[in-house]
Amino acid sequence: MTEVLPDAPDVGSLPRTGETYNIVGTSPAHHDFIEKVKGSLLYAADWRLPGMLHAKLVRSQIASGRITRIDTSAALALPGVVAVLTAEDVPYNQIVENASGGLGEVTVSQPVLAADRVRYAGEPIAVVAATEPEIAAEAVDLVEVTYEETPGVFDAESALADDAPLVHEEGNVLVNWNIVRGDVENEMAAADVVVEGEYQSQHVEHAYLEPESGVSWLENDVVTLRISTQVIEHATEIAEILEVPESKVRVIASYMGGGFGGKEDMTVEPYLALVTWHTRKPARMVWTRQESMLASTKRHPFLMRYRTGARQDGTIVAQEVEIIGDAGAYPCLSARVLFAGAALACGPYRVPSVRCTSRAVFTNNVPSSAFRGFGAMQVVFGYESQMDQLASKLGISREEVRDRNYYVKGDTIPSGDEITTAVAVTQTRELALQELGEGPPPTASHKRVGRGFGCGMQPYGRTIWFRDHASAWLTLQTDGSLLIRSGVTDLGAGQAASLCQIASEVLGAPLESISVYIGDTALNPPAGGTFATRQLYMSGNAILRASHDLRDQLTGVAEDLLDAADGELAWQGGKVQAGGRSLTLADLAKECQQRGVNTSNLYTWRAPGGKFDPSTGQGGTFPDYTFGTHAAEVEVDLETGQVEVRRYVASHDVGRQINPVRVEGQIQGGAMQGLGYALMEDCPLDEGQAVSTLFANYLIPSSMDMPDIQVAVVESGEGRGPLGARGIGEPPVGPTAATIASAIEDAIGVRPTQLPITPERILKLLDEAGSAGAQTGEEQA
Amino acid sequence: MSAAAPNSSAFEYQTADCWEEAIKLRALWGEGAKLIAGGQSLVPMINLRLAMPAALIDLNPIVSSGPWLDQGELVIPAMTRHRAVLDSPLVATHFPMLAKAVGLVGNVRVRNRGTIGGSVSHADPTGEIPCVVLAAGGRIVVQGPSGMRSVPADDFFLTYLTTATDLDEVVTEIRLPVAGDQDGWGFDEVTRRFSDFATVEVAVSARSRASEEIPELRVVLGGVADRPLLLGEDILEPFRRLGADPQAIDEVAQNAANSISPESDVHASADYRRRLTQVLTRRSLAQAVGLG
Repeated sequence: MTEVLPDAPDVGSLPRTGETYNIVGTSPAHHDFIEKVKGSLLYAADWRLPGMLHAKLVRSQIASGRITRIDTSAALALPGVVAVLTAEDVPYNQIVENASGGLGEVTVSQPVLAADRVRYAGEPIAVVAATEPEIAAEAVDLVEVTYEETPGVFDAESALADDAPLVHEEGNVLVNWNIVRGDVENEMAAADVVVEGEYQSQHVEHAYLEPESGVSWLENDVVTLRISTQVIEHATEIAEILEVPESKVRVIASYMGGGFGGKEDMTVEPYLALVTWHTRKPARMVWTRQESMLASTKRHPFLMRYRTGARQDGTIVAQEVEIIGDAGAYPCLSARVLFAGAALACGPYRVPSVRCTSRAVFTNNVPSSAFRGFGAMQVVFGYESQMDQLASKLGISREEVRDRNYYVKGDTIPSGDEITTAVAVTQTRELALQELGEGPPPTASHKRVGRGFGCGMQPYGRTIWFRDHASAWLTLQTDGSLLIRSGVTDLGAGQAASLCQIASEVLGAPLESISVYIGDTALNPPAGGTFATRQLYMSGNAILRASHDLRDQLTGVAEDLLDAADGELAWQGGKVQAGGRSLTLADLAKECQQRGVNTSNLYTWRAPGGKFDPSTGQGGTFPDYTFGTHAAEVEVDLETGQVEVRRYVASHDVGRQINPVRVEGQIQGGAMQGLGYALMEDCPLDEGQAVSTLFANYLIPSSMDMPDIQVAVVESGEGRGPLGARGIGEPPVGPTAATIASAIEDAIGVRPTQLPITPERILKLLDEAGSAGAQTGEEQA
Repeated sequence: MSAAAPNSSAFEYQTADCWEEAIKLRALWGEGAKLIAGGQSLVPMINLRLAMPAALIDLNPIVSSGPWLDQGELVIPAMTRHRAVLDSPLVATHFPMLAKAVGLVGNVRVRNRGTIGGSVSHADPTGEIPCVVLAAGGRIVVQGPSGMRSVPADDFFLTYLTTATDLDEVVTEIRLPVAGDQDGWGFDEVTRRFSDFATVEVAVSARSRASEEIPELRVVLGGVADRPLLLGEDILEPFRRLGADPQAIDEVAQNAANSISPESDVHASADYRRRLTQVLTRRSLAQAVGLG
């Protein structure tokens, strides 16, 4: 096993110049594509075990209150019901999420099953296990929960009031981040212009195709779960809840039908574990869509207030930002989401003096947590709206105001750390606008056409104070085939397949000879979860180094057999070649066995670490960033407020493409998810109660509502991932809302500031602008 | 359907090969029975347990041979799929408003299964088909144990999901008066998302009359009440006063918006529905009288 020491230089992440690739940069159809297209892939809900029970949750009907009584007798009396578990049956009934890594949030625990108090509608109170799913569903209705309702708070800003009901005794503010740099007061006072804006985003549902699901069983007295999760490392928390050693819990992740951050926190895990632990029987739990929409975590609504000061030429001198995020009833990952919001609040622009406060606030709404973009995406709507406002106030173009302020490599960001790789945001903008071009005129006299763009900056990799690491384990077998074992979980984005491509590139093993085993805490070396756009960066670097190390291990034997000189070997097509002579990987592996040379390599790659000081608001934040620009053309109906997105281009610098089709897919998917966020998607809550839990009412754009998303990829060659790659999972969802708002403003002359930008809101903006215009007209007259 | 998400309650399933059999089965099961045609509304309701029938009587063996023309009427058998209506040259020629509206029913999957009889029987107040059948001044043929009768569309749609069909009756045909060469029509709707139910829709038929300068107007609003609403003579008064001109259209549109009390829901506020009513009434009227 080889390992890079924590603070060793980040060797190899940046590309070696002049290297050409055979497999990297191509788009083969991997095992996951094939199985998904054939319908043969087994998702978490597809696993069945002999004699398994069906588990279903009893959830709180109210958003805020005390539980005065739970009567399970009628449910238990129903034939076929095997267990009804409540808080009393949970050995350690606390999930403690120190999402920031202990950098300042209050410690608030979340019960696995609510004992005396409920804090959101949908909170789990009991878990029922029965022999048939229908019986479990009936039993859930038979569990009688008596509540005493208490006043709740349903809006983050209201929750900050002194007399607001407390969601937790520790207070309603989970964390208050400050990022401070320079002298904001004086710089703002000296600025030629100051623009202000308030922007709001909404609760958004992940809406993965595959709802939360999985099975559990006991094997050798180990509680084993095969579930849909982004994070198998929750095995640790499951062990804590059951009060068993970590070695007694095993988590296996199936290939996911989407996650988007919604499977980053635990979902079915603790309940399946409890049922199997108590009954000693296998169990299955699948949330219905309604259940998922009711109770799964959501994207944080942000309230963002911006003040931006600039010189006459557009150069920004100071920015003040206040962010209030609705965390909902429990911490989950809110502390980290609001940190990312704060750290990225100024976007890809140099702002010498900054004061940003960012608070995660408890309410009695459904908990918010990780969702693609993770705080850094909500703020794009804020900072890009400010840039457009600045351009308009100064009478310069939207491009020019940005050109004055874009980061370049080596610049210092508000938290004080440095941009260490190329910033190709200008190229992405030029490409996006060039591809967008000029469209046809409006199709009717009551319609207006507008074009706009938005730039974004999204971190990839975890905040650096977590000292992130990932391991990968490679074995060349004696028939020449290659095994990859990695704890990576696969969201559907090709996390496993990318590892195969990188290993194939380095070792020359054909893709069809590689098998990859992922997502198992027992059999795979840990890779960390699949979130934060970190897996290509982390596990990609680990597999790259494991492959190089394995090749180095084999090189001596190969050189000897081929009578080759140092550096002469070429690894390609399942063979090692030198000077016209060749050797199959199978023969090489067999010879290595004979000579006692190890044909396996387990590599742990550690990302560079760093520190952040929450008291000064300065320090290390993220390893690196992915930049991009989206551009859109919209047509707005002035009478109905309807917005049609006619054309859409998304451009990102991905450093280097490992698999172009998957890059394109990520960018298209991100832009489409962003279009839903911009124009339609919203989870309306009425005093914490979901108004709707059906896709009939939660509007996700259909394919017919979407334009074709044109993708324009920039490869700067610089990134901290393997071979100079940058992460592209989260970045493409970021710029969409700002882009659409920018295009709408171009069409109708008014800027939307609240998401989603519904037809009704468009008409309201037009009305306000109309009456303002009328007033101005009167004054002039 | 996932086994862990029990959806529908248990029910008996029976097929009917002809209307007579459907009527007999209906009588046998009484109130507990639901007739299923395309199932595009009924099946989701069953899965959400908004409907818990004791028996489903499947009408799908009753194959439609229409549409056809019969003495100045376009006859569309109840089991005609939306797709067949959309593809029918007869409908395109004699009832272009229906051709347009049926193309806006759901999406291609819904249109391939859903039937015109199902749509009028279901009587969703936002449905395109009820709106157009009412604007056309059509009639609905229903059959029961005591025989056949025809109900004018004006009397057919009573309230949410409720029609003038008796419990022992089934809808067998829709009959629409064929439009003449001089007749106009207009249909427009706004949906929040492609293929969704209309937020508001407006159907207008303008029948030219030999004796009068202005056509006979039938204006129907969908999505703003418990049933499709046929606008009354008082609302259309500006046409009598001003003739078919833009001022009359504007006034009627305003009257229409003022006359309704729509509900607010997750998709649209009452105010927005009222506003859409005005815009869509204006647009559909203008199209129908050739001023669009």
